[in-house]
Amino acid sequence: MTGVRAGWIGAIALAVGFPQLTGNSYVHHVLVLWLIFALLALSLNMVIGYIGELSFGHAAFFGLGAYASALLTMQTGAPVLLGLVFAGVVAGLFGAGIGYVSLRIVGPQFAILTLGFGSIIYTVTNYWVDLTRGPMGINNIPPISLPGVGTITEARGFYYVVLTCLAAFAYSCHALMQSRTGRAFLAARENAPLATSIGVDVFRSKLLGFAIATAVAGVAGGLYGHYLRVITPELMSLQYMAALIIMVVVGGRGTIAGPIIGALIYVVLLEVLRSFGPLRLVVFAALLTLSVIFLPNGLVSLLPSRAVRGADAKPKSAMEDAVS
Amino acid sequence: MTDDILIEAEHLSRAFGGLVAVDDVSFRVRKGEIVGLIGPNGAGKTTVFNMVAGSIQPSSGTIRFGDQDVTAMPAHLRARLGIARTFQITSVFPALTTLENVRAATYRTHSQGWWGALMHSSAWRREETSVHRAAQDALAFCELEDHGGIKAGALSYGEQRRLEVAIALAASPELLLLDEPAAGLNPEEGRKLVGMIQRVRDRGVTVLLVEHHMRVVMGVCDRIIVLDHGALIAEGAPDVVANDADVIRVYFGREKAHA
Repeated sequence: MTGVRAGWIGAIALAVGFPQLTGNSYVHHVLVLWLIFALLALSLNMVIGYIGELSFGHAAFFGLGAYASALLTMQTGAPVLLGLVFAGVVAGLFGAGIGYVSLRIVGPQFAILTLGFGSIIYTVTNYWVDLTRGPMGINNIPPISLPGVGTITEARGFYYVVLTCLAAFAYSCHALMQSRTGRAFLAARENAPLATSIGVDVFRSKLLGFAIATAVAGVAGGLYGHYLRVITPELMSLQYMAALIIMVVVGGRGTIAGPIIGALIYVVLLEVLRSFGPLRLVVFAALLTLSVIFLPNGLVSLLPSRAVRGADAKPKSAMEDAVS
Repeated sequence: MTDDILIEAEHLSRAFGGLVAVDDVSFRVRKGEIVGLIGPNGAGKTTVFNMVAGSIQPSSGTIRFGDQDVTAMPAHLRARLGIARTFQITSVFPALTTLENVRAATYRTHSQGWWGALMHSSAWRREETSVHRAAQDALAFCELEDHGGIKAGALSYGEQRRLEVAIALAASPELLLLDEPAAGLNPEEGRKLVGMIQRVRDRGVTVLLVEHHMRVVMGVCDRIIVLDHGALIAEGAPDVVANDADVIRVYFGREKAHA
Protein backbone atom coordinates (compact mmCIF):
# COMPACT_ATOMS: atom_id res chain seq x y z
CA MET A 1 0.00 0.00 0.00
CA THR A 2 2.87 2.40 0.72
CA GLY A 3 4.05 1.88 -2.85
CA VAL A 4 0.65 2.99 -4.09
CA ARG A 5 0.74 6.02 -1.82
CA ALA A 6 4.24 6.97 -2.98
CA GLY A 7 3.06 6.59 -6.57
CA TRP A 8 0.19 9.00 -5.96
CA ILE A 9 2.38 11.55 -4.22
CA GLY A 10 4.82 11.40 -7.13
CA ALA A 11 2.02 11.77 -9.65
CA ILE A 12 0.60 14.82 -7.84
CA ALA A 13 4.03 16.44 -7.58
CA LEU A 14 4.52 15.85 -11.30
CA ALA A 15 1.07 17.24 -12.11
CA VAL A 16 1.75 20.37 -10.08
CA GLY A 17 5.27 20.94 -11.37
CA PHE A 18 5.04 19.92 -15.00
CA PRO A 19 3.34 23.04 -16.48
CA GLN A 20 6.12 25.15 -14.96
CA LEU A 21 8.73 23.35 -17.05
CA THR A 22 7.47 24.73 -20.31
CA GLY A 23 6.19 28.09 -21.47
CA ASN A 24 4.50 26.50 -24.46
CA SER A 25 0.84 27.46 -24.17
CA TYR A 26 -0.16 24.73 -26.62
CA VAL A 27 1.13 22.13 -24.17
CA HIS A 28 -0.77 23.89 -21.39
CA HIS A 29 -3.92 23.80 -23.49
CA VAL A 30 -3.62 20.07 -24.07
CA LEU A 31 -3.02 19.54 -20.36
CA VAL A 32 -6.17 21.48 -19.44
CA LEU A 33 -8.23 19.41 -21.88
CA TRP A 34 -6.72 16.28 -20.35
CA LEU A 35 -7.73 17.26 -16.82
CA ILE A 36 -11.26 18.25 -17.84
CA PHE A 37 -11.73 14.93 -19.63
CA ALA A 38 -10.10 13.14 -16.69
CA LEU A 39 -12.68 14.69 -14.35
CA LEU A 40 -15.44 13.68 -16.73
CA ALA A 41 -14.09 10.14 -17.19
CA LEU A 42 -13.69 9.76 -13.44
CA SER A 43 -17.34 10.70 -12.98
CA LEU A 44 -18.39 8.17 -15.63
CA ASN A 45 -16.23 5.65 -13.78
CA MET A 46 -18.61 5.98 -10.85
CA VAL A 47 -21.36 4.65 -13.14
CA ILE A 48 -19.36 2.02 -15.04
CA GLY A 49 -16.88 1.03 -12.37
CA TYR A 50 -18.73 1.46 -9.07
CA ILE A 51 -22.44 0.87 -9.64
CA GLY A 52 -21.75 -1.31 -12.68
CA GLU A 53 -24.07 0.22 -15.23
CA LEU A 54 -23.20 1.42 -18.71
CA SER A 55 -24.27 4.95 -19.62
CA PHE A 56 -24.25 6.27 -23.17
CA GLY A 57 -25.72 9.55 -21.99
CA HIS A 58 -22.88 10.93 -19.94
CA ALA A 59 -21.76 13.52 -22.50
CA ALA A 60 -25.27 15.00 -22.36
CA PHE A 61 -24.78 15.86 -18.67
CA PHE A 62 -21.40 17.36 -19.52
CA GLY A 63 -23.16 19.55 -22.10
CA LEU A 64 -26.00 20.37 -19.71
CA GLY A 65 -23.49 21.68 -17.19
CA ALA A 66 -21.67 23.70 -19.84
CA TYR A 67 -24.89 25.34 -20.99
CA ALA A 68 -26.30 25.84 -17.48
CA SER A 69 -23.21 27.66 -16.26
CA ALA A 70 -22.73 29.69 -19.45
CA LEU A 71 -26.36 30.82 -19.56
CA LEU A 72 -26.54 31.67 -15.86
CA THR A 73 -23.36 33.71 -15.83
CA MET A 74 -24.14 35.49 -19.10
CA GLN A 75 -27.78 36.29 -18.47
CA THR A 76 -27.62 37.23 -14.79
CA GLY A 77 -23.99 38.25 -14.44
CA ALA A 78 -23.55 35.74 -11.63
CA PRO A 79 -19.94 34.88 -10.71
CA VAL A 80 -18.47 31.92 -12.55
CA LEU A 81 -17.92 29.94 -9.35
CA LEU A 82 -21.66 30.12 -8.71
CA GLY A 83 -22.20 29.09 -12.33
CA LEU A 84 -20.10 25.96 -11.76
CA VAL A 85 -22.16 25.03 -8.71
CA PHE A 86 -25.31 25.65 -10.73
CA ALA A 87 -23.91 23.42 -13.52
CA GLY A 88 -23.48 20.58 -11.02
CA VAL A 89 -26.93 21.08 -9.53
CA VAL A 90 -28.72 21.18 -12.91
CA ALA A 91 -26.88 18.17 -14.31
CA GLY A 92 -27.30 16.29 -11.02
CA LEU A 93 -31.04 17.00 -10.91
CA PHE A 94 -31.44 15.78 -14.48
CA GLY A 95 -29.35 12.75 -13.57
CA ALA A 96 -31.45 12.03 -10.48
CA GLY A 97 -34.68 12.36 -12.48
CA ILE A 98 -33.50 10.22 -15.37
CA GLY A 99 -31.95 7.70 -13.00
CA TYR A 100 -35.16 7.53 -10.96
CA VAL A 101 -37.07 6.55 -14.09
CA SER A 102 -34.41 4.38 -15.75
CA LEU A 103 -32.72 2.49 -12.91
CA ARG A 104 -35.84 0.39 -12.36
CA ILE A 105 -34.30 -1.73 -15.07
CA VAL A 106 -30.58 -2.43 -15.20
CA GLY A 107 -28.05 -3.83 -17.62
CA PRO A 108 -28.31 -3.35 -21.39
CA GLN A 109 -31.81 -1.87 -21.18
CA PHE A 110 -30.55 0.87 -18.86
CA ALA A 111 -27.70 1.63 -21.27
CA ILE A 112 -30.22 1.99 -24.12
CA LEU A 113 -32.41 4.29 -22.00
CA THR A 114 -29.45 6.56 -21.23
CA LEU A 115 -28.72 6.70 -24.96
CA GLY A 116 -32.33 7.78 -25.52
CA PHE A 117 -32.31 10.45 -22.81
CA GLY A 118 -28.90 11.68 -23.98
CA SER A 119 -30.21 12.06 -27.51
CA ILE A 120 -33.27 13.94 -26.26
CA ILE A 121 -31.11 16.41 -24.34
CA TYR A 122 -28.85 16.84 -27.38
CA THR A 123 -31.78 17.38 -29.74
CA VAL A 124 -33.52 19.87 -27.46
CA THR A 125 -30.28 21.83 -27.05
CA ASN A 126 -29.85 21.84 -30.80
CA TYR A 127 -33.36 23.08 -31.59
CA TRP A 128 -34.24 25.36 -28.66
CA VAL A 129 -32.66 28.24 -30.53
CA ASP A 130 -34.19 30.98 -28.35
CA LEU A 131 -32.33 29.72 -25.30
CA THR A 132 -29.25 27.96 -26.64
CA ARG A 133 -28.77 29.64 -30.02
CA GLY A 134 -28.96 26.14 -31.50
CA PRO A 135 -26.11 24.82 -33.64
CA MET A 136 -24.52 28.29 -33.61
CA GLY A 137 -23.52 27.62 -30.04
CA ILE A 138 -22.75 30.21 -27.40
CA ASN A 139 -19.63 32.31 -27.50
CA ASN A 140 -18.11 35.02 -25.35
CA ILE A 141 -18.66 32.97 -22.22
CA PRO A 142 -17.00 34.81 -19.31
CA PRO A 143 -13.66 33.38 -18.12
CA ILE A 144 -13.35 32.13 -14.57
CA SER A 145 -12.23 34.59 -11.92
CA LEU A 146 -11.25 33.61 -8.43
CA PRO A 147 -11.39 35.84 -5.38
CA GLY A 148 -7.87 36.99 -4.56
CA VAL A 149 -6.45 35.71 -7.86
CA GLY A 150 -8.44 37.64 -10.40
CA THR A 151 -9.55 36.60 -13.86
CA ILE A 152 -7.80 33.56 -15.24
CA THR A 153 -7.28 33.87 -18.97
CA GLU A 154 -4.26 31.76 -19.68
CA ALA A 155 -4.24 27.99 -19.83
CA ARG A 156 -1.61 27.52 -17.16
CA GLY A 157 -3.72 29.22 -14.51
CA PHE A 158 -6.79 27.31 -15.55
CA TYR A 159 -4.83 24.08 -15.36
CA TYR A 160 -4.47 24.51 -11.59
CA VAL A 161 -8.18 25.26 -11.16
CA VAL A 162 -9.10 22.02 -12.89
CA LEU A 163 -6.34 20.11 -11.13
CA THR A 164 -7.82 21.18 -7.79
CA CYS A 165 -11.28 19.98 -8.83
CA LEU A 166 -9.89 16.69 -10.12
CA ALA A 167 -7.82 16.05 -7.00
CA ALA A 168 -10.80 16.81 -4.76
CA PHE A 169 -13.06 14.44 -6.68
CA ALA A 170 -10.42 11.72 -6.92
CA TYR A 171 -9.90 11.85 -3.16
CA SER A 172 -13.67 11.81 -2.64
CA CYS A 173 -13.89 8.65 -4.74
CA HIS A 174 -11.11 7.12 -2.69
CA ALA A 175 -12.88 7.99 0.56
CA LEU A 176 -16.19 6.71 -0.79
CA MET A 177 -14.66 3.31 -1.43
CA GLN A 178 -13.41 3.22 2.17
CA SER A 179 -16.93 3.72 3.48
CA ARG A 180 -20.05 1.70 3.95
CA THR A 181 -21.70 3.59 1.09
CA GLY A 182 -18.94 2.60 -1.33
CA ARG A 183 -19.07 -1.03 -0.23
CA ALA A 184 -22.82 -0.95 -0.86
CA PHE A 185 -22.17 0.35 -4.40
CA LEU A 186 -19.84 -2.55 -5.12
CA ALA A 187 -22.24 -5.05 -3.58
CA ALA A 188 -25.06 -3.69 -5.77
CA ARG A 189 -22.79 -3.90 -8.82
CA GLU A 190 -21.65 -7.45 -8.15
CA ASN A 191 -24.84 -9.18 -7.11
CA ALA A 192 -28.12 -7.34 -6.58
CA PRO A 193 -30.06 -10.12 -4.79
CA LEU A 194 -27.18 -10.78 -2.41
CA ALA A 195 -26.71 -7.04 -1.81
CA THR A 196 -30.41 -6.82 -0.91
CA SER A 197 -29.99 -9.72 1.50
CA ILE A 198 -27.37 -7.82 3.50
CA GLY A 199 -29.59 -4.76 3.77
CA VAL A 200 -28.52 -2.65 0.79
CA ASP A 201 -31.25 -0.77 -1.05
CA VAL A 202 -29.90 -1.53 -4.52
CA PHE A 203 -32.09 0.98 -6.35
CA ARG A 204 -31.21 3.85 -4.02
CA SER A 205 -27.51 3.00 -4.10
CA LYS A 206 -27.44 3.03 -7.88
CA LEU A 207 -29.51 6.21 -8.00
CA LEU A 208 -27.13 7.94 -5.59
CA GLY A 209 -24.10 6.90 -7.61
CA PHE A 210 -25.71 8.00 -10.86
CA ALA A 211 -26.79 11.38 -9.48
CA ILE A 212 -23.30 12.14 -8.10
CA ALA A 213 -21.69 11.07 -11.37
CA THR A 214 -23.96 13.31 -13.44
CA ALA A 215 -23.48 16.27 -11.10
CA VAL A 216 -19.70 16.00 -11.41
CA ALA A 217 -20.03 15.66 -15.20
CA GLY A 218 -21.99 18.92 -15.08
CA VAL A 219 -19.21 20.69 -13.19
CA ALA A 220 -16.70 19.38 -15.73
CA GLY A 221 -18.91 20.79 -18.49
CA GLY A 222 -19.06 24.16 -16.75
CA LEU A 223 -15.26 24.23 -16.50
CA TYR A 224 -15.00 23.35 -20.18
CA GLY A 225 -17.33 26.19 -21.22
CA HIS A 226 -15.56 28.83 -19.15
CA TYR A 227 -12.22 27.62 -20.44
CA LEU A 228 -12.89 27.49 -24.19
CA ARG A 229 -15.44 30.31 -23.85
CA VAL A 230 -17.45 28.83 -26.71
CA ILE A 231 -19.76 25.82 -26.63
CA THR A 232 -21.93 24.08 -29.21
CA PRO A 233 -24.40 21.18 -28.92
CA GLU A 234 -21.72 18.95 -30.47
CA LEU A 235 -20.41 18.52 -26.92
CA MET A 236 -23.27 16.12 -26.36
CA SER A 237 -22.89 14.16 -29.58
CA LEU A 238 -22.43 10.43 -29.75
CA GLN A 239 -18.78 10.90 -30.61
CA TYR A 240 -18.05 12.27 -27.14
CA MET A 241 -20.11 9.61 -25.42
CA ALA A 242 -18.07 6.90 -27.15
CA ALA A 243 -14.82 8.70 -26.35
CA LEU A 244 -15.69 8.79 -22.66
CA ILE A 245 -16.38 5.08 -22.51
CA ILE A 246 -13.06 4.45 -24.27
CA MET A 247 -11.23 6.55 -21.65
CA VAL A 248 -12.74 4.62 -18.76
CA VAL A 249 -12.43 1.13 -20.23
CA VAL A 250 -8.96 1.54 -21.77
CA GLY A 251 -7.66 3.20 -18.61
CA GLY A 252 -9.22 0.77 -16.19
CA ARG A 253 -12.74 0.87 -14.81
CA GLY A 254 -13.38 0.80 -11.11
CA THR A 255 -10.03 2.43 -10.35
CA ILE A 256 -9.10 6.07 -9.79
CA ALA A 257 -5.87 6.16 -11.81
CA GLY A 258 -7.42 4.32 -14.78
CA PRO A 259 -9.84 6.97 -16.12
CA ILE A 260 -7.23 9.71 -15.58
CA ILE A 261 -4.69 7.75 -17.63
CA GLY A 262 -7.36 6.90 -20.20
CA ALA A 263 -8.17 10.60 -20.61
CA LEU A 264 -4.47 11.39 -21.10
CA ILE A 265 -4.14 8.78 -23.82
CA TYR A 266 -7.28 10.01 -25.51
CA VAL A 267 -6.29 13.68 -25.51
CA VAL A 268 -2.71 13.00 -26.61
CA LEU A 269 -3.80 10.65 -29.40
CA LEU A 270 -6.38 13.17 -30.51
CA GLU A 271 -3.63 15.75 -30.96
CA VAL A 272 -1.06 13.38 -32.46
CA LEU A 273 -3.53 11.97 -34.98
CA ARG A 274 -5.09 15.31 -35.86
CA SER A 275 -3.93 15.07 -39.49
CA PHE A 276 -5.81 11.79 -39.92
CA GLY A 277 -9.17 13.51 -39.61
CA PRO A 278 -12.16 11.22 -39.04
CA LEU A 279 -9.86 8.19 -39.41
CA ARG A 280 -8.87 8.85 -35.80
CA LEU A 281 -12.11 7.21 -34.79
CA VAL A 282 -10.94 3.96 -36.37
CA VAL A 283 -7.80 4.12 -34.24
CA PHE A 284 -9.88 4.68 -31.10
CA ALA A 285 -12.18 1.81 -31.98
CA ALA A 286 -9.18 -0.45 -32.49
CA LEU A 287 -7.76 0.71 -29.17
CA LEU A 288 -11.00 -0.14 -27.38
CA THR A 289 -11.21 -3.55 -29.03
CA LEU A 290 -7.60 -4.45 -28.23
CA SER A 291 -8.00 -3.24 -24.68
CA VAL A 292 -11.12 -5.30 -24.06
CA ILE A 293 -9.47 -8.42 -25.47
CA PHE A 294 -5.97 -8.15 -24.00
CA LEU A 295 -6.37 -5.86 -21.00
CA PRO A 296 -9.91 -6.30 -19.70
CA ASN A 297 -8.93 -4.46 -16.52
CA GLY A 298 -7.39 -1.58 -18.45
CA LEU A 299 -3.96 -0.09 -18.58
CA VAL A 300 -3.78 0.26 -14.81
CA SER A 301 -3.48 -3.50 -14.57
CA LEU A 302 0.01 -3.06 -16.07
CA LEU A 303 1.08 -0.96 -13.09
CA PRO A 304 3.00 -2.73 -10.30
CA SER A 305 0.28 -4.89 -8.82
CA ARG A 306 -1.06 -4.72 -5.34
CA ALA A 307 -0.96 -7.90 -3.31
CA VAL A 308 -4.62 -8.49 -4.07
CA ARG A 309 -4.26 -8.48 -7.79
CA GLY A 310 -1.65 -11.22 -7.90
CA ALA A 311 -4.03 -13.64 -6.24
CA ASP A 312 -6.60 -13.09 -8.96
CA ALA A 313 -5.01 -15.09 -11.71
CA LYS A 314 -3.18 -17.50 -9.46
CA PRO A 315 -4.20 -21.08 -10.21
CA LYS A 316 -5.62 -22.82 -7.21
CA SER A 317 -3.16 -25.21 -5.68
CA ALA A 318 -3.96 -28.79 -4.84
CA MET A 319 -3.51 -27.94 -1.18
CA GLU A 320 -6.31 -25.42 -1.19
CA ASP A 321 -8.59 -28.04 -2.67
CA ALA A 322 -7.63 -30.48 0.02
CA VAL A 323 -8.44 -27.94 2.72
CA SER A 324 -11.92 -27.21 1.37
CA MET B 1 -45.87 -15.95 25.85
CA THR B 2 -44.81 -14.66 22.44
CA ASP B 3 -41.51 -13.47 23.85
CA ASP B 4 -39.47 -16.33 22.53
CA ILE B 5 -41.22 -16.55 19.16
CA LEU B 6 -38.96 -15.12 16.46
CA ILE B 7 -40.93 -15.91 13.32
CA GLU B 8 -44.67 -16.32 13.25
CA ALA B 9 -46.26 -17.09 9.89
CA GLU B 10 -50.04 -17.18 9.82
CA HIS B 11 -52.24 -18.49 7.01
CA LEU B 12 -49.61 -17.88 4.35
CA SER B 13 -50.77 -18.44 0.80
CA ARG B 14 -49.19 -17.70 -2.50
CA ALA B 15 -50.49 -18.30 -5.99
CA PHE B 16 -48.55 -17.96 -9.22
CA GLY B 17 -51.22 -17.34 -11.83
CA GLY B 18 -53.61 -20.27 -11.38
CA LEU B 19 -51.10 -22.43 -9.49
CA VAL B 20 -51.41 -22.33 -5.73
CA ALA B 21 -47.83 -22.94 -4.58
CA VAL B 22 -48.50 -22.41 -0.88
CA ASP B 23 -51.92 -22.87 0.67
CA ASP B 24 -52.73 -21.64 4.17
CA VAL B 25 -49.48 -22.52 5.92
CA SER B 26 -48.96 -21.40 9.54
CA PHE B 27 -45.88 -22.09 11.65
CA ARG B 28 -43.66 -20.57 14.31
CA VAL B 29 -39.95 -20.57 14.88
CA ARG B 30 -38.68 -19.99 18.41
CA LYS B 31 -35.49 -18.15 19.25
CA GLY B 32 -32.44 -20.40 19.16
CA GLU B 33 -34.14 -23.19 17.25
CA ILE B 34 -32.88 -24.93 14.14
CA VAL B 35 -35.95 -25.65 12.02
CA GLY B 36 -35.97 -27.59 8.75
CA LEU B 37 -38.45 -27.03 5.97
CA ILE B 38 -38.76 -30.19 3.87
CA GLY B 39 -41.02 -31.74 1.27
CA PRO B 40 -40.95 -33.28 -2.18
CA ASN B 41 -40.18 -31.19 -5.26
CA GLY B 42 -42.87 -28.61 -5.87
CA ALA B 43 -44.11 -28.78 -2.26
CA GLY B 44 -43.73 -25.01 -1.86
CA LYS B 45 -40.79 -24.93 0.54
CA THR B 46 -38.77 -22.45 -1.47
CA THR B 47 -41.82 -20.22 -1.84
CA VAL B 48 -42.35 -20.21 1.94
CA PHE B 49 -38.64 -19.54 2.40
CA ASN B 50 -38.69 -16.60 -0.01
CA MET B 51 -41.78 -15.14 1.65
CA VAL B 52 -39.95 -15.14 4.99
CA ALA B 53 -36.87 -13.56 3.35
CA GLY B 54 -39.04 -10.98 1.61
CA SER B 55 -38.14 -11.73 -2.00
CA ILE B 56 -41.71 -12.96 -2.65
CA GLN B 57 -44.83 -11.28 -1.28
CA PRO B 58 -47.57 -13.59 0.03
CA SER B 59 -50.97 -13.46 -1.69
CA SER B 60 -52.53 -13.58 1.76
CA GLY B 61 -51.51 -14.21 5.36
CA THR B 62 -49.08 -12.42 7.67
CA ILE B 63 -45.48 -12.83 8.76
CA ARG B 64 -44.25 -11.44 12.06
CA PHE B 65 -40.59 -11.10 12.99
CA GLY B 66 -40.24 -10.60 16.74
CA ASP B 67 -43.01 -8.15 17.57
CA GLN B 68 -43.07 -6.54 14.13
CA ASP B 69 -45.38 -7.28 11.20
CA VAL B 70 -43.01 -7.61 8.24
CA THR B 71 -45.52 -8.94 5.70
CA ALA B 72 -45.30 -5.91 3.42
CA MET B 73 -41.68 -5.04 4.20
CA PRO B 74 -39.21 -5.15 1.29
CA ALA B 75 -36.31 -7.61 1.54
CA HIS B 76 -33.54 -5.10 2.25
CA LEU B 77 -35.43 -3.68 5.25
CA ARG B 78 -36.00 -7.17 6.64
CA ALA B 79 -32.27 -7.74 6.25
CA ARG B 80 -31.65 -4.61 8.31
CA LEU B 81 -33.88 -6.02 11.04
CA GLY B 82 -31.58 -9.03 11.22
CA ILE B 83 -32.84 -11.62 8.73
CA ALA B 84 -29.90 -12.98 6.72
CA ARG B 85 -30.17 -15.55 3.95
CA THR B 86 -28.21 -17.69 1.55
CA PHE B 87 -29.30 -18.68 -1.95
CA GLN B 88 -30.05 -21.99 -3.62
CA ILE B 89 -27.62 -21.18 -6.43
CA THR B 90 -24.27 -20.11 -4.98
CA SER B 91 -24.29 -16.35 -4.63
CA VAL B 92 -21.21 -14.30 -3.77
CA PHE B 93 -19.68 -11.02 -4.97
CA PRO B 94 -17.37 -12.68 -7.52
CA ALA B 95 -14.99 -9.83 -8.46
CA LEU B 96 -14.40 -8.79 -4.83
CA THR B 97 -11.91 -10.58 -2.62
CA THR B 98 -13.17 -12.95 0.03
CA LEU B 99 -12.39 -10.35 2.70
CA GLU B 100 -14.17 -7.58 0.75
CA ASN B 101 -17.18 -9.89 0.44
CA VAL B 102 -17.61 -10.15 4.19
CA ARG B 103 -16.66 -6.51 4.78
CA ALA B 104 -19.54 -5.47 2.51
CA ALA B 105 -21.86 -7.68 4.55
CA THR B 106 -21.27 -5.62 7.72
CA TYR B 107 -23.52 -2.96 6.16
CA ARG B 108 -26.41 -3.50 8.58
CA THR B 109 -24.49 -2.94 11.78
CA HIS B 110 -22.45 0.09 10.70
CA SER B 111 -23.40 3.60 9.74
CA GLN B 112 -20.37 5.63 8.67
CA GLY B 113 -20.71 6.87 5.11
CA TRP B 114 -18.62 8.88 2.72
CA TRP B 115 -18.24 12.00 4.86
CA GLY B 116 -16.68 10.16 7.80
CA ALA B 117 -14.19 8.47 5.48
CA LEU B 118 -13.37 11.78 3.79
CA MET B 119 -12.70 13.46 7.13
CA HIS B 120 -11.00 10.42 8.66
CA SER B 121 -13.28 11.04 11.64
CA SER B 122 -12.71 9.09 14.82
CA ALA B 123 -16.16 7.49 14.48
CA TRP B 124 -15.18 6.26 11.03
CA ARG B 125 -11.85 4.87 12.27
CA ARG B 126 -13.62 3.06 15.12
CA GLU B 127 -16.10 1.58 12.68
CA GLU B 128 -13.42 0.46 10.24
CA THR B 129 -11.76 -1.43 13.10
CA SER B 130 -15.05 -3.03 14.00
CA VAL B 131 -15.83 -3.86 10.34
CA HIS B 132 -12.45 -5.51 10.05
CA ARG B 133 -12.91 -7.49 13.24
CA ALA B 134 -16.40 -8.68 12.26
CA ALA B 135 -15.13 -9.66 8.82
CA GLN B 136 -12.13 -11.58 10.17
CA ASP B 137 -14.34 -13.27 12.70
CA ALA B 138 -16.85 -14.41 10.06
CA LEU B 139 -14.04 -15.70 7.83
CA ALA B 140 -12.41 -17.57 10.69
CA PHE B 141 -15.75 -19.11 11.64
CA CYS B 142 -16.15 -20.50 8.13
CA GLU B 143 -12.46 -21.53 7.92
CA LEU B 144 -11.74 -19.09 5.13
CA GLU B 145 -9.25 -16.85 6.95
CA ASP B 146 -6.40 -17.98 4.68
CA HIS B 147 -8.34 -17.00 1.57
CA GLY B 148 -9.04 -13.37 2.45
CA GLY B 149 -7.06 -11.96 -0.47
CA ILE B 150 -8.46 -14.26 -3.14
CA LYS B 151 -11.25 -13.15 -5.46
CA ALA B 152 -14.46 -14.91 -4.48
CA GLY B 153 -14.98 -16.03 -8.07
CA ALA B 154 -11.72 -18.01 -7.88
CA LEU B 155 -12.72 -20.04 -4.80
CA SER B 156 -13.74 -23.67 -5.13
CA TYR B 157 -17.43 -24.56 -4.98
CA GLY B 158 -17.26 -25.74 -1.39
CA GLU B 159 -15.37 -22.60 -0.36
CA GLN B 160 -17.93 -20.39 -2.09
CA ARG B 161 -20.73 -22.11 -0.18
CA ARG B 162 -18.89 -21.45 3.08
CA LEU B 163 -18.29 -17.85 2.01
CA GLU B 164 -22.04 -17.46 1.58
CA VAL B 165 -22.51 -18.43 5.20
CA ALA B 166 -19.68 -16.08 6.21
CA ILE B 167 -21.42 -13.22 4.37
CA ALA B 168 -24.69 -13.98 6.13
CA LEU B 169 -22.96 -14.17 9.52
CA ALA B 170 -20.97 -10.96 9.01
CA ALA B 171 -24.34 -9.20 9.02
CA SER B 172 -24.71 -10.53 12.62
CA PRO B 173 -28.27 -11.70 12.05
CA GLU B 174 -30.87 -12.90 14.53
CA LEU B 175 -32.35 -15.27 11.98
CA LEU B 176 -30.35 -17.15 9.35
CA LEU B 177 -32.24 -18.58 6.38
CA LEU B 178 -30.36 -21.33 4.54
CA ASP B 179 -31.64 -22.35 1.10
CA GLU B 180 -30.45 -25.91 0.40
CA PRO B 181 -27.04 -25.41 2.01
CA ALA B 182 -25.96 -29.01 1.36
CA ALA B 183 -26.73 -28.98 -2.36
CA GLY B 184 -23.77 -30.32 -4.28
CA LEU B 185 -21.62 -31.01 -1.22
CA ASN B 186 -19.89 -34.36 -0.76
CA PRO B 187 -20.59 -36.38 2.45
CA GLU B 188 -17.50 -35.00 4.18
CA GLU B 189 -18.47 -31.40 3.36
CA GLY B 190 -22.03 -32.22 4.43
CA ARG B 191 -20.82 -33.33 7.87
CA LYS B 192 -18.78 -30.14 8.16
CA LEU B 193 -21.87 -28.16 7.29
CA VAL B 194 -23.91 -29.81 10.05
CA GLY B 195 -21.22 -28.86 12.57
CA MET B 196 -21.14 -25.33 11.26
CA ILE B 197 -24.92 -24.86 11.49
CA GLN B 198 -24.83 -26.08 15.10
CA ARG B 199 -22.06 -23.64 15.94
CA VAL B 200 -24.09 -20.85 14.31
CA ARG B 201 -26.94 -21.66 16.67
CA ASP B 202 -24.54 -21.73 19.62
CA ARG B 203 -23.85 -18.08 18.86
CA GLY B 204 -27.52 -17.36 19.50
CA VAL B 205 -28.63 -17.28 15.87
CA THR B 206 -31.92 -18.94 14.97
CA VAL B 207 -31.78 -21.06 11.81
CA LEU B 208 -34.50 -21.92 9.30
CA LEU B 209 -33.35 -24.14 6.46
CA VAL B 210 -34.77 -25.69 3.33
CA GLU B 211 -33.04 -28.94 2.47
CA HIS B 212 -33.32 -32.07 0.36
CA HIS B 213 -30.41 -33.84 1.96
CA MET B 214 -32.11 -36.03 4.59
CA ARG B 215 -28.97 -36.82 6.55
CA VAL B 216 -28.31 -33.13 7.05
CA VAL B 217 -31.91 -32.34 7.98
CA MET B 218 -32.25 -35.21 10.44
CA GLY B 219 -28.81 -34.57 11.90
CA VAL B 220 -29.10 -30.90 12.64
CA CYS B 221 -32.75 -29.84 13.07
CA ASP B 222 -34.58 -29.53 16.37
CA ARG B 223 -37.87 -29.47 14.58
CA ILE B 224 -39.02 -30.23 11.06
CA ILE B 225 -41.91 -28.79 9.07
CA VAL B 226 -43.12 -30.96 6.18
CA LEU B 227 -44.91 -29.46 3.20
CA ASP B 228 -46.68 -31.28 0.39
CA HIS B 229 -48.53 -29.67 -2.49
CA GLY B 230 -48.35 -26.32 -0.74
CA ALA B 231 -49.91 -27.52 2.52
CA LEU B 232 -48.32 -28.25 5.88
CA ILE B 233 -48.78 -31.97 6.56
CA ALA B 234 -46.59 -32.60 9.59
CA GLU B 235 -44.50 -30.78 12.15
CA GLY B 236 -42.32 -32.00 15.01
CA ALA B 237 -39.02 -33.45 16.16
CA PRO B 238 -37.03 -35.37 13.48
CA ASP B 239 -37.85 -38.85 14.85
CA VAL B 240 -41.55 -37.98 15.20
CA VAL B 241 -41.74 -36.64 11.65
CA ALA B 242 -39.76 -39.58 10.27
CA ASN B 243 -42.38 -41.98 11.68
CA ASP B 244 -45.40 -39.94 10.68
CA ALA B 245 -47.66 -41.98 8.38
CA ASP B 246 -48.46 -39.04 6.07
CA VAL B 247 -44.83 -38.09 5.74
CA ILE B 248 -43.80 -41.66 4.94
CA ARG B 249 -46.52 -41.82 2.33
CA VAL B 250 -45.76 -38.55 0.48
CA TYR B 251 -42.08 -38.24 1.11
CA PHE B 252 -40.14 -41.24 2.24
CA GLY B 253 -42.47 -43.59 0.42
CA ARG B 254 -41.76 -41.83 -2.79
CA GLU B 255 -38.07 -41.75 -2.08
CA LYS B 256 -38.01 -45.48 -1.34
CA ALA B 257 -39.88 -46.19 -4.55
CA HIS B 258 -37.15 -44.40 -6.42
CA ALA B 259 -34.30 -46.13 -4.65
